[in-house]
Amino acid sequence: MTSYLGTVPDSHRQRVSLALASTIIVGATSFAWPLFLAPSSGMKPEQAVWVFALVLPMVLATILAELTSGRMDVKALAMLGVLAAFGTVLRPLSAGTAGFELIFFLIILAGRVYGPSFGFALGAITLFTSALITSGVGPWLPYQMISAGFVGLFAGLLPKASGKAELALLASYGMLSAFAYGWFMDFAFWPFGIGNSTQLSFDPAASPLTNLHRFVLYNLATSMGWNLGRALTNAALIALLGTPLLRLLRRSARKAQLAGPAIAASTSE
Amino acid sequence: MVLERTQTLKSLHPLAWWAWAIGIGIAVNGTTNPLLLALIALALVWVVLLRRSSAPWARSVRAYLILGGFVIAMRVFFQIVIGAKTGDTILFALPEIPLPDWAAGIRLGGPITAEALAYTINDALRLAVLLLCLGAANALANPRQALRSMPAALYEASAAVVVALSVAPQLIESGQRVLKARRTRGTNTKGLRSLASVILPVMADSIERSMSLAAGMEARGFARTRGLPVRGSLTLMISSSMLATLGAFVLLSTDFRLLAVGCLVIGLVGAGFGLRLAGKRLAVTRYRQQPWRVRDTVVSGFGLLAAVVVLTIGGLNPNDLSASLLQWLDPQALFPSTDPLTWPQLSVPMLLVVGLVAAPLAVTGKDRIDVTESVRNDTMVRSLRPKAEILVTS
Repeated sequence: MTSYLGTVPDSHRQRVSLALASTIIVGATSFAWPLFLAPSSGMKPEQAVWVFALVLPMVLATILAELTSGRMDVKALAMLGVLAAFGTVLRPLSAGTAGFELIFFLIILAGRVYGPSFGFALGAITLFTSALITSGVGPWLPYQMISAGFVGLFAGLLPKASGKAELALLASYGMLSAFAYGWFMDFAFWPFGIGNSTQLSFDPAASPLTNLHRFVLYNLATSMGWNLGRALTNAALIALLGTPLLRLLRRSARKAQLAGPAIAASTSE
Repeated sequence: MVLERTQTLKSLHPLAWWAWAIGIGIAVNGTTNPLLLALIALALVWVVLLRRSSAPWARSVRAYLILGGFVIAMRVFFQIVIGAKTGDTILFALPEIPLPDWAAGIRLGGPITAEALAYTINDALRLAVLLLCLGAANALANPRQALRSMPAALYEASAAVVVALSVAPQLIESGQRVLKARRTRGTNTKGLRSLASVILPVMADSIERSMSLAAGMEARGFARTRGLPVRGSLTLMISSSMLATLGAFVLLSTDFRLLAVGCLVIGLVGAGFGLRLAGKRLAVTRYRQQPWRVRDTVVSGFGLLAAVVVLTIGGLNPNDLSASLLQWLDPQALFPSTDPLTWPQLSVPMLLVVGLVAAPLAVTGKDRIDVTESVRNDTMVRSLRPKAEILVTS
């Protein structure tokens, strides 16, 4: 696992892993709800999104409280804020131009350098801040925060590599995660996007496999272009900016680590 | 002398606006009557236009109106191209193209019926008005004020959000500086490659900034007042959110509604309690906390009442009601039939709901901004503040 800003004791790391694992479980359940919605439950497909929009903020609050409180030193917090500001500024630049999304490459690179928990926090907080600035707060926000968080989280868990291999690894992860992000979001908001009365709509009475088949077709028909655009943007930006940005982020991580113990020692006396 | 604008604490609590909007959202979710939906939308826009401030986020309602229109257009398009065929009133017919087997036997085009189209438009209109509710809340509630109401356990996370919100304008400025420098040198400023060459120096700049910010925060004692995490808070929070997820799962996949709602409620309450517990490790006070006044309760009440009215009427069984009551309440008018086609009707309770949507106009005033003489003489601090807050310099 790559290093975190500052030093973290093992017991803390265990707590963080526990919290992250539970977030993955809850996140997977809430994104996969169209697979287990039963026709007899009396819930309409559109309402399921609201049920999870109620649960997800609690999960997010739990994980963010755990990730940031006591674990992150001030330097990591400031870095989190500044990088989130960077993503926030980049996001409106990219809105509306078919999938040309500029936030993910930063989340991926930061997750790679500062580790999975920083990556998760950065993804979630970037999406939250940009929703506040562009007034895009709605039931989709917790879903976006969780999936962008996952993009950063798994970027931090990628295997070791260096030089060209690392760049290739990150760029292909960028493409893969762009598709995964799009698929997960579309899947959770499927009945919202298209309604219940078309041949590509979610049908609670059908089997999960039939629904998956329908979803793949729906996705091909509607958002393939967006996902592809996002994937290409990610890969291009990582290939273009990856080396200098990684160097920049790593240098600051080293600086923060060098300065950390010295400051702690001088103030604890 | 410098005059500054400051947001007064007289404005409505942001969470009150959200509660009002969510209540209306629940009400909207409980009907597909296009007349009622259109009236609610009008009332929402009316409230927003009269009560929004001059802040940047207050302009968002136009975007949400456009988004709503887009949702309706997209739904209608898909209904026409790949819609399931219901009803007999054929408006027009498109040539029918059957797709190959791997495409699940979908047929493109075919006859378009008035019933299917009416159903789609009603349903899409409901979603569009729902989006408008969220747009209204986004436009009316001040996000910075709402951040103050975050639970204490999220103090550090909110600090990161506040840092992001205040650094963002500086980054834009920094980016413009780099662009200007490039332009004066005669370098190309368009395309992905030049975007990259702007991103790098701005990024280096912002990382430097974060280092000095951290030093500043540390020097002011930030994070020195926090203790170790409270024992058991994480276990409580994780198990509660797991329970809530289980509740949602049971609610969606089985018939045990009572058990499901029980799990959900216990889970949510438990998680809230866990958050409070986790916040105990902080020894910090809050600066200028927004008070919750009677007016805030009243406005939230309007929204919740609208939800209660629609849900109660929607839940009534028409067979249990006497003829006069049935005519007055008319539960079926909430979901006008589209097959056979009927003209939607308005009932008295629906007008009450529309009245509740517009009711905040009666109890709130125009959001006033106080103009005070600035006590700060340091131009540096002032130059970093958002432009909207600085009024006159003379």
